[in-house]
Amino acid sequence: MKKHRLVTRRDFLKGSLAAGTAFSLVPRHVLGGEGFTPPSETLGGALIGCGGRGPGTYSEMTKSLQGAGLGLTKLAECDVRWLDRADNKTRYSDFRRVLERTDIDAVAIGTPPHWHALISIAAMEAGKDVLCEKPMTRFIAEGRAVADTARRYGRIFQIGTFGRFSENKNPRSLLTRKIMTSGLLKKCEGVAIKRGGLKVKEWSGYVNARPQAVPPSLDWDLYVGPSQFKPYHPHRVGGTHRGYWDYEGGGLCDMGQHALDPLTYTWGKDHTGPVEIEPHTPPAHHEACGMWGWVELKYADGFTLVLDSAEWGDAWERKKSRGVSVEDLAPEDRDKFKALPDPEPLRTFGEAVKTRLPAGGNAEAAHRTVTVIHLANIAIRTGRKLRFDPEKEVIVGDEHANRIAHQPMRPPWHL
Amino acid sequence: MATSKPNIAELVAQMPATDKEKEALKAAAQQPDQPKPKSEEPVGSKFDAPDPDAARRIGDAILAGGRASLVELIGLIRDPASEDFQDYKAEYLCHCLTLQVGAPDRAEHRRLFIDTLVSQIGNDALPAHTRGFLVRELEWIGDGAAITALGRLLTDERFCDDAARALLAIKEGVVELFRKALAQAAGRCRLVALQSLAVLRDPASSGEFLKGATDGNREIRLAAVWGLARLAAAESVPTVLKAAETRDTWERIKTTQACLLLAENLAAGGRKTDAVKIYTHLRDTRAAPKERYVREIADKALEKLGAGRKLT
Repeated sequence: MKKHRLVTRRDFLKGSLAAGTAFSLVPRHVLGGEGFTPPSETLGGALIGCGGRGPGTYSEMTKSLQGAGLGLTKLAECDVRWLDRADNKTRYSDFRRVLERTDIDAVAIGTPPHWHALISIAAMEAGKDVLCEKPMTRFIAEGRAVADTARRYGRIFQIGTFGRFSENKNPRSLLTRKIMTSGLLKKCEGVAIKRGGLKVKEWSGYVNARPQAVPPSLDWDLYVGPSQFKPYHPHRVGGTHRGYWDYEGGGLCDMGQHALDPLTYTWGKDHTGPVEIEPHTPPAHHEACGMWGWVELKYADGFTLVLDSAEWGDAWERKKSRGVSVEDLAPEDRDKFKALPDPEPLRTFGEAVKTRLPAGGNAEAAHRTVTVIHLANIAIRTGRKLRFDPEKEVIVGDEHANRIAHQPMRPPWHL
Repeated sequence: MATSKPNIAELVAQMPATDKEKEALKAAAQQPDQPKPKSEEPVGSKFDAPDPDAARRIGDAILAGGRASLVELIGLIRDPASEDFQDYKAEYLCHCLTLQVGAPDRAEHRRLFIDTLVSQIGNDALPAHTRGFLVRELEWIGDGAAITALGRLLTDERFCDDAARALLAIKEGVVELFRKALAQAAGRCRLVALQSLAVLRDPASSGEFLKGATDGNREIRLAAVWGLARLAAAESVPTVLKAAETRDTWERIKTTQACLLLAENLAAGGRKTDAVKIYTHLRDTRAAPKERYVREIADKALEKLGAGRKLT
């Protein structure tokens, strides 16, 4: 009897909602008809997470949509610190009430990162497009769930970092990307080093922190959300939340996606990940992010990416930075290379919303970038060299490390 | 294994001072004529972790003292909210041991460490904070030997969340513990047990999911419907579709997602007819403009399954 290979759910999802090229989902503002405004006019917007970067993220979303000829009116703002001032008309403390609104088309997310994945997913399930602050996620499994949701619902997701758009206009970066994605490079000797600027000490967490009374305006249970429940301390909220594994992952999570997204774009790593991760670090605290030295990440094709904090221990000095060039290709392959098309321009969020084609910083690409950060942090937290399977997205041969990559969530929240 | 009795308090004291403690010491050294301040309450502060080799040597010294030393170390952990809390050091050092014994070549020490933690998580003489900390360490390092003791905590609201996380991380042999807990649990523990069974895709819990789909508590309903979607049993299609007809908008968003997830799982499992039923229902019932995006997803999926008609 002939055996039929059963299609996996991911295969079915990919096939039925293939990355935008044939997808004809049309947002309500394009449809016309009773109650809808034509595409040249204005979308309804919301900001969820109004502290710190939040307003800046909303502003980026507005500018991007305007650049594509679309207007945006802010209809709602939401923050868990607004129990005392939420009117549930324009100001909310619970993001679910915002997402229930049918007049909102696009959402900017500026909450702490432990909420980024779940709110992005819920917003897309509610039919909204999303511009989400970096880092995209708090742990690896979240990113895959966001990417799957964007495909399932045909929604636009853009991560709130834009360095790859500059690389997309840089001839040297485009040449590197073309070489790396050509399939013609037999072995990559490329080395990219990000040294310093990762705010490791700045975004370290506190120890010896005595719990304090929850401010009456803060919904602490909703703030904690999917993370482990810990007693309230003001250092866990409002920017300094970055110092806690429960909500972020230190300076590496804060700055890493800015630093690495241009690199993963340039080096053609939007659909893969490192296979070996080696840290140089002291033993990490279980709650408070702290100091670390460097992390070396190697890809299967030979590319090496190094994160050197320049704030602890010896510098990474195994190799020097090295690019790739046409000379790295075998002579017989250089003509084939010249015949290949150049990398395409990246779509802004506004262009993606208008055309319903993926944005340049789409969920898959952003997930692959932030996975590098999470792998580095897992290596820092365990203090061990790790191996990663970028196809299955699991850490190989280290069960304890893998538990950090795929974490259960606190009910009622789940991926 | 124990060959000597290390001085645990002295080893703990070797953990670094915090930044604020160092600042205070520096200020005091610069003003030697000033009277020394009375020791103050611990203050939240950043700290620099110890040298890794030094930390490893301290960890090895504690492990050399066997179970008695580990129990003594655990006994030094204090709740930061309590009056007798002094500093982070004992708890941090315990976590350093979790990291140390987690290395592949430390199987014997790992066994000692896990067994000691397991023996202490049910110890009522320890503060709840300490027991909770040990449960969270077992999420990192626990194995099959930990599951019975963790299972006992699933009906204790102080520990059920952390115990569930640890069990879900361990995975092997845990489903029966959640089933047993669900039968006994109330309040938050009930939601934790039910959702954990959904995470585990326990087919034997389908009856609980079907029952939970009409519970008076919205979070129970949502966990139950999600569980049905993950199980991908064709018999659950009517229940999931009915749940998605709710007027509560947040619940409708999430149960619609469950419908799509169920349909994908059924299609991937070769149950095309059942998947078509779900997509057809969504196409036919999501006609209102605000839900048109769902109808379009359904239409596209039906087209792929060869059962579509053009969207009008």
